[in-house]
Amino acid sequence: MLDPLLISLKLSLITTFILLLVALPLAYVLAFCSFKGRTALEVLVALPLVLPPTVLGYFILVMIAPNTLLGRAWQDVFDASLAFSFSGMVLASVLYSLPFAVQPMQQALRAIPKAWLEMAHTQGLDFKQRLWLVILPASKGGVLVAGALSFAHTMGEFGVVLMVGGSIPGETKVASIALFELVEMQQGAQAWWLSLILLAISFVMLSVVYSVNRQRVGLFK
Amino acid sequence: MKHHAEFSLDMGCLSLDINQTFDHEFIMISGENGSGKTTFLRCLAGLEKKVQGRWVLNDVVQLDSASSLCVPVHERSVACVWRDAALLPWLNVQQNIELGIRSQDALFFSNLCEALHISHLLARYPAVLSSGEAQRVNIARALCRQAKLVLLDEPFSAQAPAMRQHLRQWFKKSQQEWAIPIIMVSHDLEDVHALADQHWQMQAGRLWQL
Repeated sequence: MLDPLLISLKLSLITTFILLLVALPLAYVLAFCSFKGRTALEVLVALPLVLPPTVLGYFILVMIAPNTLLGRAWQDVFDASLAFSFSGMVLASVLYSLPFAVQPMQQALRAIPKAWLEMAHTQGLDFKQRLWLVILPASKGGVLVAGALSFAHTMGEFGVVLMVGGSIPGETKVASIALFELVEMQQGAQAWWLSLILLAISFVMLSVVYSVNRQRVGLFK
Repeated sequence: MKHHAEFSLDMGCLSLDINQTFDHEFIMISGENGSGKTTFLRCLAGLEKKVQGRWVLNDVVQLDSASSLCVPVHERSVACVWRDAALLPWLNVQQNIELGIRSQDALFFSNLCEALHISHLLARYPAVLSSGEAQRVNIARALCRQAKLVLLDEPFSAQAPAMRQHLRQWFKKSQQEWAIPIIMVSHDLEDVHALADQHWQMQAGRLWQL
């Protein structure tokens, strides 16, 4: 029971870290830039919200199969298959949880009063200074929410990680899959404990989201 | 030294058509709501992206549509006091004033804070300031840049009468000391009488000297 839980935690931490790096520039572009294809990009980012996880998992599996460009390149560099590996699972999790990271950040960026941005601009701050001194402090609540949601969402993934990672014990068997197998094997006590732990993690993460959101409302009053 | 602003901007509801030359003077702009006063200041600051024309400050071209030259907003030596104080709530008053200031002139800073009666507020946060105090902090933040042009959009609107009177006297004296142009939008005729070297009237996007 401990191994799948640790794999889930490791997967969630790595996915959240990657998402925070990837989602912020993406959210910035979607919040402030207007360009041709913006709607298409927004739809692509939001797609995992409505797409069945198994469908997304299947596409990713096809994309990283050993006979594809990405699969072959990975094999050449790391001498290992990306499909049915922990790394493949990370890639799938990042794509699957992308909207949970991008959307809160995008909303937080859009909520920054225009007057603050214009003031910073006329105060002589260049883009880097505006980003560090105004944009990031003003949207840090959104970044925190994005991190908490990405972590919680990755902890609860099932369909995508099963399709891409399989259920290899000690490598790609995550807590949600282990729970399913425990129930199948009628090991009620262990299933109960694992469910309780996953419930507690989700509860804590959502508490973070709600308390941060309350503080954000205060910031823009 | 002469400064020249020539702008045309079609915003749908308002067409701005400006052609003015001015010196190191205190210029007051008055006019009805929606006549384009703030938009004119925004053009000078560089915040209106679609503006066409030519704008020269201290012999330095800030905008020249004919040669597609446009100095970025943050590189223009223009200090702006907008109606919205836009103080950042996570910074205290001193940090707000120092925002974007690269080298602090300590004497200028303390004199400025004293003149604006905000020295006692430096450690406080914007949430506990009155609107008048926030407006004076906003003025201090802009003036701290020691820019070559100062734009003021109704900067005394939240001040009590006595403070307004004090600020008028201080601004008039300081403008002569700094020897830079100050352009101020105000509806208050007392501001015009006390401060104006030139009085411009704005009507439906056009500006002329009274």
